[in-house]
This record gives sequence, C-alpha cells and structure tokens, in this order.
Amino acid sequence: MNQRQWAIARKELLQLKRDRATLAMMVVLPVMQLLLFGYAINTDVRHIPTVVYDQDQSAGSRDLWRSMEATRFYDVVGQVRSYQEVERAIRSGMARVALVVPPRFSSDLKRGRTAHAQLVVDGSDPQVVASATNTAASLVAARSSELVLTRLSKVSGAKPQPAIELEPNTWYNPDLRTAIYVVPGLIGVILTMTMVMLTSMAIARERERGTLEQLIVSPVKNIELMIGKILPYVIIGYVQMTLVLFVGRAIFGVPLVGSLPLLYCLVFVFISANLALGLVFSTLAKTQQQAMQMSFFFLLPNILLSGFMFPFEGMPKPAQWIAQGLPLTHFLRVVRGITLKGAGFEDVVGEVIWMGGILTVLVTLATLRFSKKLA
Amino acid sequence: MTNGAQEVIHTDHLSRRFGNLVAVRDVSLSVRQGEIFGVLGPNGAGKSTTIRMLCGILNPSGGKGSVLGFDIKSEAEKIKMHIGYMTQRFSLYEDLTVIENLQFYGGIYGVPRKQLGQRIEQVLTESGLAPRRKQLAGTLSGGWKQRVALASSTIHQPPLLFLDEPTAGVDPVSRRDFWDQIHHISAAGTTVLLTTHYMDEAERCHRLAFIFGGELLDVGEPEVIVERRALKVVELEADKSTEAARLLRQRPEVDEVAHYGHLLRVATRGGVDPLELSRTVLSAAGIAMSNARAVRTTVEDAFVSMVREDDRRRASPEAA
Repeated sequence: MNQRQWAIARKELLQLKRDRATLAMMVVLPVMQLLLFGYAINTDVRHIPTVVYDQDQSAGSRDLWRSMEATRFYDVVGQVRSYQEVERAIRSGMARVALVVPPRFSSDLKRGRTAHAQLVVDGSDPQVVASATNTAASLVAARSSELVLTRLSKVSGAKPQPAIELEPNTWYNPDLRTAIYVVPGLIGVILTMTMVMLTSMAIARERERGTLEQLIVSPVKNIELMIGKILPYVIIGYVQMTLVLFVGRAIFGVPLVGSLPLLYCLVFVFISANLALGLVFSTLAKTQQQAMQMSFFFLLPNILLSGFMFPFEGMPKPAQWIAQGLPLTHFLRVVRGITLKGAGFEDVVGEVIWMGGILTVLVTLATLRFSKKLA
Repeated sequence: MTNGAQEVIHTDHLSRRFGNLVAVRDVSLSVRQGEIFGVLGPNGAGKSTTIRMLCGILNPSGGKGSVLGFDIKSEAEKIKMHIGYMTQRFSLYEDLTVIENLQFYGGIYGVPRKQLGQRIEQVLTESGLAPRRKQLAGTLSGGWKQRVALASSTIHQPPLLFLDEPTAGVDPVSRRDFWDQIHHISAAGTTVLLTTHYMDEAERCHRLAFIFGGELLDVGEPEVIVERRALKVVELEADKSTEAARLLRQRPEVDEVAHYGHLLRVATRGGVDPLELSRTVLSAAGIAMSNARAVRTTVEDAFVSMVREDDRRRASPEAA
C-alpha cells in the first residue's frame, strides 16, 4: 500500500460514510434476505390439504386415512361424497390430494384379499406430487407388510422377521431444515450482489461526475486506482459475511462445524473475483444506472444456476457448464462444506482452484479494459 | 516576460486525428517559464485536444512535443507527476468537504504526509477557503467550487499548471478574483497554460495562441496580435441600425460590423478610416449617424477578423 492507494481508499470510505442510503442498504439487505430466505423458503413439503372420499365408512378405512394424517404430511380438510366433489376440491385448490377408499376395502382386508385405495394428486406442482405419492406409498407399504407378517404368524405360529430393513441415516442436517442449507449459501449470493454492484458503480460514478478525467491526469497508476477503489469494499464484504453467519446462527441455529479462519481466508478469493468483475462492468458502463443494470443481469444466472436454489446435479449439461464459470457455484460448495460438514482445505481445494482461475481471468480482463479507457 | 526565460512547453507540428477528423493540425508553439499562456478558440477548435496531448493523456498522431523537458509520447508519466490540471467541470468530489478534497489530491500527488497539513493550511488561507474548510464541496457556489478546484490542482506546487476553461459558468466577480489568483501563482514562478473562449480573459494573458479548426492562426502578446491585424474600429449610433449594418458590410474594406445595444461597432482593414467610410456610406443611403468615436481594437475584434478570413480562405476555390 502506498500513499496514493491510501488516499483513494480513504476517499472511498469517506464517500461511503456520507452515502447513508447505500450504507444502510449494505447492512439491511443481508439481514432482510436472511430473514426472507430463512423463513419463507421452505422446500420441505408439509401439511398438504387433503380430502377423503370414503365409500367404505368402516373402521379399517378410517384407520388408513388417520394414519396418513398422523404423518403430519397430509391435513384432512374435509370429507367428500362423490368423484365430482373430489374434482371440484382439487380444481378450486381447496385440496391438493384426495384419498379415495372403495366400498369393499374393509371386507377385502378381512378376507385376506388385496384391498385397493386410490390417491389422486394435483400434478401442477411437481414438488408436491413426488412427496405426496412417496409418503403415501411408503406408509401403505409399511402397513401392508405389517398385515402380511401378522397373517403369516397366525399361519406358522412363529414370529417372522422382515426380509430387508433400511435404516436411513442423514448426516449434517438430520432434521432436513431448509434454513440450514440456505443460509450459508446466502452469504455467497449477498456478496455477489453487493460486491459487483458497488465496485461497478464506484467507477461509473467517477466517470459520470467527471472526476475520472482528473484522476487520469494524475500520477495515479491503473493498478493503484483499482486496488485503492476496491479495498474498502473488501472490508464491507467481510462485514456482510460475518453478519449473515452470526445472525443465521442466532435465529436459525445454522451450525458452524468447520474452521472459521479457513472460511475467512477462502472468502477473500471469492470477494476478489466479484470485485474484479465489478471493475470489468465499470469499464463497460457509462453511467451508474448501466452499471447497476449489468449487476442485476449478472445476479439472475447466479441465483438460478449456481446450486443456490436448485440442485446443480439436476441441471442439464449446458447449464452446468455455464454454472462452472460463475464464482458463486464454487463458493457455495466451499461455504456449505465448511459450515455444515466441517470440510478442511483439502476437501475444497478443487473449488478454490476454480475460483482462483476465474479471478485471474477477471483481473486480466479488468486490467486490459481499464488501461484502454485511460489511454 | 523576458525572451531569455526557459522554455517549459515546446511543440513541433503537433497533430492529432480521430478517424478522418483532424482535431489538431501542425501546431508548433513554445511556452516560457512563468508566463500565463492563453489558448483561445471557439468550441471544438482543438483546444482541449491540445491540452490533453500536452498532459500526456492523449498520444499525438503526428509531430512531437516536450513538456518540462519530458517527451509527451514516451515520458507521459513523468509529466503527470509535475503538472497541475484543472478540468472544465472542476472535478471535485461533491460529497467530500473542502479539506477532504485537498487531502485527497495531496495524497494522490504524493505530497509528503508531514508537509501536507501545512500545505493545506497555506492554500486554504491563500484562496480564502479557510472558513469553509468543513463544508461539502457540493454545497458551494460555482465561484467557490472553482477556488477549491484551483487549490486542489496546485496542492503539490506544480511548476506548470493547465487550466481547461477554468471560468466556465462562474460569475464575473468570481472570475476577477480568479484572475488575481492566477497572476499571483504566475508571479511565484509557475507557468500557466489555460484555454478560454472569453475574449476579455484573453487580454489578461501574457501571450496568446489563436486556434481555429485545429490550426494555429497566430501566437503572440495580445497587443502584438491585435496590431498585426491592422484594424481600425469606431463605435457609432445610426438611425436604422440593421439597415446601416447591412450596407456597411457590403463594403470590402469593412471587416466586421457588430451590434452593441444602440451602438454599431465598425472595424475596417488596410488602414481605411472607419469613421470616414461610415459617414460616406450612411449619408449616401440617407441614414443619420451620431456620437461616432474611434475606439481601441480588442482581442475579440482581432480574433473574429482572423476567423472570418480563415473561413473565406477555406471557402475560396484557390484554397482547395
């Protein structure tokens, strides 16, 4: 750091201090997003409104839908008396699932015949379909194997054992709470958004107000200007990350299993990559407004493709290739690995290399574009 | 200015083209140490392009030049260290206070930290900005902004100061104060090169260069340039002033007729007496004329005459 870089960094901080709106945005935005994403985004499907068309009206049929209700996955919101009513309930959105029990359900069960029941599912939301059918299917499978085993024991006298038993064992997020998965990822999303936008606007502002011309005539070198400009934003990036980590822990109980110092070291590569991208944008944008638009344009693929919202593995190959070029994709794996799984450097080194590569490309690009503009 | 003074700027057939447009063509000039050198010309004449080449931020496409002994092409960075530059838009950070602006520019020009505080106090006092040191630059009026801009660009005490239209949008009183400061700076040994299109300001410069259409039309002390045009000027009142102006303009000896309120300002070339000529022309047309008197030829008269002549030269088929 030489005197010129200090002078620029100091000036940048002073301007930031005066710009209360931006400053507030940088603190309020992470907290607001944290609350929004943490509370509202819940990919666990629970309490699906369900209607029952019980044509049997027996103890056996009641048993079936009560046990379904007991999973807390289905909320029985009403009984209907005809298929027309089933259709109406689903079409109006009053119910997403309907259980239809035919008249001879109980008697079939008693006589040892296969009893049938029908599950009607509203397919317009695919996520609901999968969970609704899977839950009901495993519930029914469990009950029917229980019944078969009881029948067998009556015949043979011995107490038979199930052939295969699967013991599901979920690591790292045993309660499958979405917030725990979302909050660490949010660090990456917030940093992407604010870092790119702030740097691109910081230079565009100088161009817009005519102060860039004065800087070009001064003995300040390109690299000094770039470093001096982005340094204050590195600090802001660290503040934002700290804020999300600790508020996330306090409100949502997001664990921090791995090494905090490691996370703080590695996030530097990520922050730098975003700042470099902001510089590239700033050389393209003539006004602050354009800089902001570019930043938002860049944010969208980050949210959709990086694996923040949807699993990376499920995306088509071309989308995955694009996602590999986004720093956020790699940072998400780093931050989730460290905070949730206690990953060490050796576990995430591949992602760090990716981020380093992207950073190098962006810095080169920024330097080339920047010096062109000053020539 | 003594002619023996050291040469601070020297250019030799300096040219710059942007695509097909020649913004500056074959400009050769020399600026001596301690003088206030004005580059005069209308908008788009090539003044800013010339200044930018001299500051080392724009490469010339032809010719060469040196500033403070450094080559403008190969030693641009060294030039930047030793000059002060004030842009047309004053280039202040409006959300910083006066003193913060000065600290910033002091910092990027590498004024040693120990001296910077003292130096800032000095410029604050000299410019009369001391009571406004904590005021945000954006809340200052045009004249005060200009003072901050000037103080910022001289914070590192450069031996050479470039001012690109320093008085644009500033009220007349502030302009007068500003010129006092420029003369003060120049008296201390700093060379000042400025561009302007205000003719009254041109007369305050030690020497002038007239630039028009990217070409250098004349260089010299204001009086010498004016004398070289050999114009004679009268001011008079005429009854039908529009008609009178039209008639006078038809005479080849008449260089220029301009309206100044009730007055007509008539300039003639080639030693013709404008008073005699006007009297002859107007009485022949039956237009009454009064209060005629000979007046001093100004830089503006000379400049307009030069530009008109250049226009005629370009328009005539022989020039093509």
